[in-house]
Amino acid sequence: MTSSTATRSTNHSRTLQLVQTAMFAALMMVGANISSFLIIGGVPITLQTFFAILAGLLLGKRNGAIAMLVYALIGLAGLPVFAGFSGGFDTIVSPTFGFIVSFILVAYFVGLIVEKYPTKVGFVIAALVGTAINYLFGTNWMYAAYKVWAAAPEGFTYQMAWAWMAVPLPKDLLLAVLAGLFGYRLRPIIQKYL
Amino acid sequence: MMEKMIFGRYIPGDSFVHKLDPRSKLVFVFLFIAIVFLANNAVTYAVILAFTLVTILLSRIRLYFLINGLKPILFLLIFTFLLHIFFTKEGDLLWKWQFIEVYEEGLRQGIFISIRFLVLVFVTSILTLTTSPISITDGMEVLLNPFKRFKLPVHELALMMSISLRFIPTLMDETDKILKAQMARGSDISTGSIKERIKAVVPLLIPLFVSAFKRAEDLAVAMEVRGYRGGEGRTRYRQLKWDWRDSLVIVTLGILALLLWWLRS
Repeated sequence: MTSSTATRSTNHSRTLQLVQTAMFAALMMVGANISSFLIIGGVPITLQTFFAILAGLLLGKRNGAIAMLVYALIGLAGLPVFAGFSGGFDTIVSPTFGFIVSFILVAYFVGLIVEKYPTKVGFVIAALVGTAINYLFGTNWMYAAYKVWAAAPEGFTYQMAWAWMAVPLPKDLLLAVLAGLFGYRLRPIIQKYL
Repeated sequence: MMEKMIFGRYIPGDSFVHKLDPRSKLVFVFLFIAIVFLANNAVTYAVILAFTLVTILLSRIRLYFLINGLKPILFLLIFTFLLHIFFTKEGDLLWKWQFIEVYEEGLRQGIFISIRFLVLVFVTSILTLTTSPISITDGMEVLLNPFKRFKLPVHELALMMSISLRFIPTLMDETDKILKAQMARGSDISTGSIKERIKAVVPLLIPLFVSAFKRAEDLAVAMEVRGYRGGEGRTRYRQLKWDWRDSLVIVTLGILALLLWWLRS
């Protein structure tokens, strides 16, 4: 009796984790396109990084990272899940594809940090580290992509790539802190489903 | 809108390319991305361009859809072109105005790289336009199989992709519903400073996450009730079939690679 209950419950938690991970990949679609749901004139806000951080905070390092991998794959498979309801295999040659790949690492490391330090400060620090990974990986990928796909000449420097990224940085840092606080608040609410 | 969310940019049809196995199409695209880099002179770029045109014709995709797919990358294309025009200073000086100088080599590189981009975007778009997301998922599952050795849960990954596909329309509806409900309660998301707006997003996101996790639980229970116990010994409803067309396509690509290798300078 006890052993069969045990197998049943591990099977349940495995299936549940699988579905939750898949669901989070779908949630990323909402995050990436939140601005089209909220009719905001002017400032387009994408909450992709925000949601990627939440994936790590809520699902943990392994499932968070898998959720982001699933997100990248369904986008490549042609579903309009990326920012601006875009998607399709051609995204792979876009220089900004690195940001989508970076979400996998973001979720993993955010999850890793909060598994060690599950405090409010830990959540915020994890979110900030996540944003840093997103920027570092994404920008380097973008630079490399310009060099490789576009055979960018010498005139295109590493500094230029970063200057490009400096504009949304303050907004993203603010969003990271919010993501940490939000995740900390949300975690106990959805704990009963985890 | 709903249809777009389920099928993406897929356009049903029965052309040669539509009939190909998703595995051969994926392998084709990956190899093609690598092969494009072999081109480095006018002849090889012409060959690649011709090859792409034939592929487009075989897919019987209306040019309108391909051009449409080009929109997001148009800025990039122009940016790259200008980058080459202005920063490559080799060869003869073709044109000079104030401090702007255009050199022969810059123009040539600009055109070549634009062709490379165009060809890459066209071929990858054809994959998206002729293959439904669900069959790309099936194809990816098979191609990812070797990564099982590195503990990548390939079967689960493919299943998660299908579940995600199914959740997307539901979540869109849900988001819309929650948004309207909060607006009815007087939540104001469309005015105020950025900080105020971000604050207003919180009462939208909490119900969204809670309802999503609730739905996940319901689906997990439903799956178990129907006896889902992981990937062991599962059979498939959609079977992939590799036929002569698929082999032909891969062989043709091999010939293209050899031809480019021979013609490149």
